[in-house]
Amino acid sequence: MAQTRAVAGLHDVELAALAAAGERPAFGELVRRHGSAVRGLLRRMGAQPALADDIAQDAFLTAFERIAEFRGEGAFGAWVKRIAARLYVRRWRKDSRLTEEQEQDDAGHGGEVSTVARIDLDEAMQSLSDPERMCVSLCYGAGMSHAEAAETLNTPLGTVKSHVKRGMDKLRLRLAPAQGEGRDAERQGHV
Amino acid sequence: MRKGRDMSELDFEMRLDRMFAEPPHFPDAELFARDVETRLERGWSVRRLFIGAAGVVAALVGVGQFMGAGLFLRSASGELTAQAGAVGKAARELLSASSNFGAIPVSSEVLWMTAGLGVMALGFVITRATQEF
Repeated sequence: MAQTRAVAGLHDVELAALAAAGERPAFGELVRRHGSAVRGLLRRMGAQPALADDIAQDAFLTAFERIAEFRGEGAFGAWVKRIAARLYVRRWRKDSRLTEEQEQDDAGHGGEVSTVARIDLDEAMQSLSDPERMCVSLCYGAGMSHAEAAETLNTPLGTVKSHVKRGMDKLRLRLAPAQGEGRDAERQGHV
Repeated sequence: MRKGRDMSELDFEMRLDRMFAEPPHFPDAELFARDVETRLERGWSVRRLFIGAAGVVAALVGVGQFMGAGLFLRSASGELTAQAGAVGKAARELLSASSNFGAIPVSSEVLWMTAGLGVMALGFVITRATQEF
């Protein structure tokens, strides 16, 4: 318990260094700090809650195995998110859901735009097709460049760019403040 | 017009970045962290068990090697003695060498000592296993 309290005040980089030395409580603290972000990202990518949690756990275990590779050049959270995103993409591709056919079926799914009320990002993400959601999540959630996302998804760069563009257009419509509620929505959006 | 549109796109991208950066609240966040820690502990326990088991196997192999080496030295000694009688000086040197090998205490003491170490390693593994599970 005292050990938990001791690690709570440390920076992520210090915790990662301790974890690399085999201090598991330090890694536990990192899981506490970034667990929700990783789980949230996976759900936004389209994973069902149970699957998202499983993959998030796997991502943290992978991160612990590879903790020596984390040198603190970027944020620890972003590093684990990338690991998690890659694990999910691998799983997603195994389920062979990234098909042109489905992409075409899903096209226009996001057209049902309601601007009646402000909706949050998680809801807005549901309006995207699978490839769009995946590309937007990788680029904005996992902090990947278009090229990195293309490499992760094993998809041409141009395809990723167009998925991101279409996804962004849909999100912009979904997340646009409703008439008369603009000020309130804007305020909430910046909290 | 074009510039204004770019600015609004940039604003929206920044807004999206902020929204993605904001982690959602999970009421079971602590439970999730504990699950990860449990899996981590389990992984380490299994790893330690494997290391311990490998130690025991190594100790057993060591005992086997010592026993084998003792038997080999004895048989080698016997063969060399027989050859020494037949070929003369060279064999006598070898016999002398083999009798020097015989002086090395590869006997019951070493055997018992190695077995004792093996038992200690096994005890260590069992202790760790009972602590972990």
